[in-house]
Amino acid sequence: MATLTLDSVSKVYKAARGRPVTAVDAVDMRIADGEIIGLLGSSGCGKTSTLRMIAGFEDVTSGHIEVGGRVIDNLLPAERNIAMAFEGYALYPPLRVRDNIGFALLRDRQPRAEVKRQVEEIAELLEIVPALDRYPPTISAGQQQRTSLARALIRKADVFLLDEPMSQLEPQLRAVLRARLKDWLITRRMTTVFVTHDQTEAIALADRIAVMEEGVLQQFASPDELKERPANLFVASFIGEPPMNLFEARVDRSRSGLGLAVLDAGGARAFELRFDAEVAGLADGAAVHLGMRPHRLRLGDRAGAVQGTVTSHSWLGDQTHVGVEIGGTECIVVAEGEVPARLGAPIAVEVPLRAVHLFDADDGRALFHGSEAAS
Amino acid sequence: MSYLSLGKLKKRFKNEVVLDGASLDVERGETVVVFGPSGCGKTVLLRLIAGINEPDSGTVHIAGQEVTYLAPEHRDVGMAFQNFALYPHLSAFDNIASPLSARGVARGEIERRVHEVAGLLKIDHVLHHLPKALSNGQKQRTSLGRALAGNPGVLLLDDPLRNVDAKLRYEMRLELPRVLKAFETTVIYVTQDYKEAMALGDRVAVLMGGGFRQVDRPASIYKDPDGTDVARLFGDPTVNLVPGTIEGGTVTALGARFPLAVSLADGPCQIAIRPESITVTLDEATSAGATPVDLGIGEDTHAVPVELDAVTPLNVRAVMLLRTADGRELLATCSEDEASRLPRGHGRGHAHIRAADLLLFDPAGRRVRPGERQ
Repeated sequence: MATLTLDSVSKVYKAARGRPVTAVDAVDMRIADGEIIGLLGSSGCGKTSTLRMIAGFEDVTSGHIEVGGRVIDNLLPAERNIAMAFEGYALYPPLRVRDNIGFALLRDRQPRAEVKRQVEEIAELLEIVPALDRYPPTISAGQQQRTSLARALIRKADVFLLDEPMSQLEPQLRAVLRARLKDWLITRRMTTVFVTHDQTEAIALADRIAVMEEGVLQQFASPDELKERPANLFVASFIGEPPMNLFEARVDRSRSGLGLAVLDAGGARAFELRFDAEVAGLADGAAVHLGMRPHRLRLGDRAGAVQGTVTSHSWLGDQTHVGVEIGGTECIVVAEGEVPARLGAPIAVEVPLRAVHLFDADDGRALFHGSEAAS
Repeated sequence: MSYLSLGKLKKRFKNEVVLDGASLDVERGETVVVFGPSGCGKTVLLRLIAGINEPDSGTVHIAGQEVTYLAPEHRDVGMAFQNFALYPHLSAFDNIASPLSARGVARGEIERRVHEVAGLLKIDHVLHHLPKALSNGQKQRTSLGRALAGNPGVLLLDDPLRNVDAKLRYEMRLELPRVLKAFETTVIYVTQDYKEAMALGDRVAVLMGGGFRQVDRPASIYKDPDGTDVARLFGDPTVNLVPGTIEGGTVTALGARFPLAVSLADGPCQIAIRPESITVTLDEATSAGATPVDLGIGEDTHAVPVELDAVTPLNVRAVMLLRTADGRELLATCSEDEASRLPRGHGRGHAHIRAADLLLFDPAGRRVRPGERQ
């Protein structure tokens, strides 16, 4: 419903003893009207501090936050026109679920019949209709979480903040409720920032994801961009399940194209890859991290395939995960559908250029993405 | 008789019947995963096998001998727990060695066995550490190593990956089948995660409502479930369930009429359709050149008009939320590359469904197979 801008926002906590702690370090984000943003990272990365500064529950140490072009840093939470769903739910125990959800609308003196209609619509969407006339302490944690989410979602606000909105969902409801929530947010053009530690949830819901680590914004980009062009090794290893296969390697430019000597844990040569690609800026002999996403690798024996041995095999209904040992290194290949493979049997793995990502061995920054050279 | 045989086990706590005649036969060296929703009695079942609890009625046989009321230490059973339960004052080595030391096994033999187990579980480099110096994953492997080192006839694993992070859980899910096979142990493995069940089990035993609903190979349970309740437990996203009507060799559902390859009695039914067996085309994309044939959609499919409500990428595949003309929701999946061409908002198109991919159930949710219904 409005744009949201974080302009070099920092949060420094003063410690009673010792040095102050920088929880959020000069974060810049320009969020468009109606955009859905995921703040993703492990605990302590600064994502929740960022959300709480937007809500007004934490002061901004330096920098500014704007909603719709208006600086809101010094406004009280209630003056910001921001709706929030809390990780701890924060429901009113003496109110029925129905009245918890409709609380803000009733307070704003909206007609009762209209509030009832809206409460029932969101309750149906989030599958909590049977809980509507019960009291919060008597419903499950998952239902409490969805009640808290419903209460935020039916408000009229400039920005919506959701703290771990779906962490308690039972597996059978997860996919459908995520999709309904996304549809609700997009249809109503709700500018939304949600916090999660679960990269699957971030990818499912967000237009863009802010990956944070140690208070620093590592990359702020669409899910596709994070997968195809991760900015550094941290982002590459954080995004994706199963995670990216990672190896130590050396660049080999002794012949034309791009050669990679992949090393095992002891630093010995495990296998080699060679691509007919024009690649600039990678020096012969440079030490790199090689990353390959499991589902970009293919099982098949075309020219250039590397030979390995099957070490594990699991079929999950719609996809098969095959573990392959290649010259003392291990990698995972994900294939769609059901692929037979016998433990200990030889198997060939094709590595398309598109699967290849290279990162600097020292600082982990991205040096090369195969998808850019391949297209 | 099978190596481990459970005969009509019943167990109630106060007024709650947890197990109500659960029977299961497990062959020597087999890994059977006991899988079911939380509170279905999986852990109680393990405790009856281990001898920690006694059943109200029914029997437990191990290696042909009845052990129903035998003390835990007199059954050839080992157990690893989800909370690790390591001795904090003992090194990883001594924790793993503890069942062997207790039996008075010679020092050299203990050394050999511990290193063999530790090698397979990739913890040989931390054997001298105390548990507090181990990562969660290493603790979990140590706990598993201790259960394996005793080389029990039956190994009971109670949701051992529950408390480790997603990455470790994934690694172990791939690695465990090989480790368990190396020991040739008979394993009962309890989990709430269908992926673990499918990846680890030679067979999966679905425990619901006090008994085993279906016991079969993972492929059979996924492709040929006995009930809608079983079908719903396997797969992410969850299987679609829609009502239908069987009439004169066809089944009508979602406004389309599908031919039946087998003869079934007329009447109402429920139909399950796996999300990955629905192919979606959008009208815009079709007019831009791609036809259903390009997408590998054959003549045996039926096209159901749908509105695409939302696309939520999942790992590897993306989930599409579809709505049919009568307001019914369907979930379908496509590859990541196909998903990147879909719109952010709504779109109109068709869901293509093959008659062969429909799983039919009666109105009560029991599977309808040819010749089983009159």
